[in-house]
Amino acid sequence: MRMNWKIVLPAACLMLMAAFGVRAHHSFTATYFEDREITIEGKLLQFMFRNPHSFVHIEAPGDDGQMHRWAVEWGGAGALAGQGVTNQTLRAGDVVKITGNPGREAGDYRLRMQYLRRDSDGFEWGKKPGETFQ
Amino acid sequence: MRALVLCGALTAALAATSAHAQIDITGEWATKAHEDFDDRVPGDVQGDFTGVPMNDAARRFAESWDVTRVNLLEHQCQPYNVAHIFRGPMQFRIWTEKDPATQSIISYREYLGTYQQFRTIWMDNRPHPPDYVPHTNMGFSTGEWHGDILTVTTTHIKKEFYRRSGIPSSDRTTLVEHYIRHGNLLSHVMIITDPVYLTEPYLNSEEFVQMERGNQNWLYNCEYVMEVPMDKNRVPYYLPGMNPFIQDYAKKFGLPFEAVFGGAPTTYPEYEPKLEQLMKGR
Repeated sequence: MRMNWKIVLPAACLMLMAAFGVRAHHSFTATYFEDREITIEGKLLQFMFRNPHSFVHIEAPGDDGQMHRWAVEWGGAGALAGQGVTNQTLRAGDVVKITGNPGREAGDYRLRMQYLRRDSDGFEWGKKPGETFQ
Repeated sequence: MRALVLCGALTAALAATSAHAQIDITGEWATKAHEDFDDRVPGDVQGDFTGVPMNDAARRFAESWDVTRVNLLEHQCQPYNVAHIFRGPMQFRIWTEKDPATQSIISYREYLGTYQQFRTIWMDNRPHPPDYVPHTNMGFSTGEWHGDILTVTTTHIKKEFYRRSGIPSSDRTTLVEHYIRHGNLLSHVMIITDPVYLTEPYLNSEEFVQMERGNQNWLYNCEYVMEVPMDKNRVPYYLPGMNPFIQDYAKKFGLPFEAVFGGAPTTYPEYEPKLEQLMKGR
């Protein structure tokens, strides 16, 4: 039987994603409102590609109209690597648009990453199941 | 004389057979997280205390627990302890250390990919160390075979959590594990006793599947960074009665909070009539 690698490879990646780096010290659902989404746009200040989860910090306006440093929580390094994301994928100064679930703690400028787009080269991440699009 | 030699040789052969007849649990194993998936992988809303025989001390701790505390620098890369780490998604490797002269197993060794943890399970009947010996995330383990079941007893474990919803574990935790192999599946049963936070043993079981082709992702780089901008001297917490999220799980599943937070009695089938009564009264 011939294997269809177009099916097998994404499936293997998904299994790896499921196995590694998905669980953090905390529960996502406990930390973020998973039934709400907001979108922010701004300049990337820092990309921390790591475990247990990666973080992206961007400078973007909040509800109050003031600029804030937003912390966007992303997947663990192992999970993201399986989706083609590396520590070079994002760079300080990139202008990105991010959609995510807001944190439950009032006053925390944090999101759980659901979708990211960089208009300068069309890089996209999100919308499952392969996550990365270029 | 010849009979004596024959008898000795037979005895030695039987002893050798018995020592090598145990089922082989070595290899590389990966989580099969089909049981308790929501709790074990993504995590659910706050306030899931079901199934844990927690006592009042654990309740007080859970009431004050703020999940964002793990964003503190000190906690970001803190490994799960041995009584908790098997609950999350992970892969682990088991191999043996053998006495070169007799080829008997001195110890099983484990490497757990999550947080890159090593542990040793001593099989040479050595005693556990005195209480004052430093505790570690993986503790001190000894094992013995009961038929095809490897039973491992671990003491000297560092305090941590039984669940991310804030159910704490103490450094007086004792863990008894049973490793049971069925073909390419490995059942792992954990029986946890903790006189500080549990009223009776807390039982969990997990399944692992053998990775026949291995896996390259055995490292877990965790660096301490400022994950979320916050005052580095602030420790998130709630004062008693002030945790706004503690009943989220009960509300989500339409359960009385008393049943979710009730500890050991709620874990038995005999609790069902009480639960029905509570549900009717709402």
